[in-house]
Amino acid sequence: MMEAKRNEIKKRLNRVFGEVFDDEKIEIFDEMTAKDIGEWDSLMHIVLVVATEKEFKVTLNAAEVGELKNVGEMLDLLCERVIG
Amino acid sequence: MLFNSLEFAIFFAIVYGLYLVLPHQWQNKLLLAAGFIFYSSWDWRFFSLIILLICIGYFCGMKIDGSKEAKTKKLFLSLSVVSSLAILGFFKYFNFFVSNLAGLLKAFGAPVEYHALNIILPMGISFYIFKTLTYPIDIYRGKMKPTKNILDFALYVSFFLQLIAGPIQRAKDLLPQITAPRRIGLNDFYEGCSLIFWGLFLKIFVADNLSKVVAPVFALNSSCSGAEILLASYAFTFQLFCDFEGYSSMARGLGRVMGFDIMLNFNLPFFAVNIQDFWNRWHISLSTWIRDYLYTPLFDALSFIRGNPRIYITLLVSMSLMGLWHGAEWTFLFFGLYHGALLVIYIILRSRFHIKRYIQPKSVFGQQLWVWVRIFFMFQLIAFGMMIFRAQSASHLFFLLHRLIFQFNGGAPKALLFQFLAFACPVFIIQFGQYKTGDLMFIYHRHWLVKTVIYAIMLHLILGWGVMSTEEFIYFQF
Repeated sequence: MMEAKRNEIKKRLNRVFGEVFDDEKIEIFDEMTAKDIGEWDSLMHIVLVVATEKEFKVTLNAAEVGELKNVGEMLDLLCERVIG
Repeated sequence: MLFNSLEFAIFFAIVYGLYLVLPHQWQNKLLLAAGFIFYSSWDWRFFSLIILLICIGYFCGMKIDGSKEAKTKKLFLSLSVVSSLAILGFFKYFNFFVSNLAGLLKAFGAPVEYHALNIILPMGISFYIFKTLTYPIDIYRGKMKPTKNILDFALYVSFFLQLIAGPIQRAKDLLPQITAPRRIGLNDFYEGCSLIFWGLFLKIFVADNLSKVVAPVFALNSSCSGAEILLASYAFTFQLFCDFEGYSSMARGLGRVMGFDIMLNFNLPFFAVNIQDFWNRWHISLSTWIRDYLYTPLFDALSFIRGNPRIYITLLVSMSLMGLWHGAEWTFLFFGLYHGALLVIYIILRSRFHIKRYIQPKSVFGQQLWVWVRIFFMFQLIAFGMMIFRAQSASHLFFLLHRLIFQFNGGAPKALLFQFLAFACPVFIIQFGQYKTGDLMFIYHRHWLVKTVIYAIMLHLILGWGVMSTEEFIYFQF
């Protein structure tokens, strides 16, 4: 059940990444970091935070998201906020 | 005592000679003493200011780490940040603020009499205050532990290679290099010398010569045409880069020969393909400082604003303050605002209009050409920003803009063009090599024969046309 919800969130987050980095073919994975996407710098980071907030209707903290090790941790954070 | 002066060469030779024979702890004491002598050679009166900042930073750092209660930690963090910013505000912005406030009151029909204080701006204050600020904040954020040895912290603040014009290196990066013994390999020594020589070339041959080309055009009584202003803006963009990168490169090189790893401050900024890319390459120690200590906290503090306006406000405020960091002048504020606006436009074009989808050549040649078109276009935007930066006042800026738009063809700038190209081309050629190979030590890593020829040409240019009158570095005034 939890796994299914996580996958659903992952799909939606993938869409957000595609929109923000203008790459429809982008495929996010748990171990993915900013190094895997050339344009993921501090400016795009806050664009990503705002787009994620909009998609999931949650409030995120840019510093907190910046501290996360990878996309997998970002997904965990979103699961926590969205599913509760 | 400028890095490119004979005085400094003698000073460094003495310090370095002693440094090589002393054990680690005595090396640190020597560097600390050297820092105080170096700073006192500019103005001994502000020596006490540095001591005060060292005491505040050290004391607050210890208290933040030692306190268990969040409230106490916050109190000492606030004490440290507020007192440092108050010192900076008083020395740098007091007269600007008071004179503009008086002007505003006068405009609203309530004139007040005021007398500007005769405040001398301490050399390098913006650099060393920004350095000291990182220490308590990073301890508070749990990113580092404070040092118990006040002399180590004092050396971090007053390290003479970074004291006057940065780079604004974080305590968590530099302090471990101070506390642990340093090793100097032969390669470090050679690379260091190469960086020092490159820095000297940029400063003596390029920046100081371009300064002579630029100054008459930007003089207040100048009657230059718009075309000359445009060319002078290009020249000033190169001058500022070579002046500051010259200093930063020398600082890195001098650090390297002593076993220090001083951070990179410029990474081929003229090869930026967009404004975001430019700020990842230009004055890196300042832009990353602004990112970590102003822009991200401000963005989080504005969480009550939903959607993209939150990004736009964060960018405009952060970049305006970045502009003002350079000095208490409207032109610096406009410079920051201009870059903030460029970043906002860039975000809108990218995120809202998805411009990348429409302009993306498919062929390899087309893609390469597109990169160069973007580099060229970015340089125009950067140079325009540098004109704002170089203007002597807001009214002078409007005069320059008026000339640029309405009196473009008033004079033939051929001599100016020749001078600009003569001094900028050697830098561009080397930077092109650095860009294509992705190697900032491009000259150093060539075959020994090629390297020797390049160094010989550079030496010939310095001796033949270099400005030996030791012009001050532009960033010293900030």
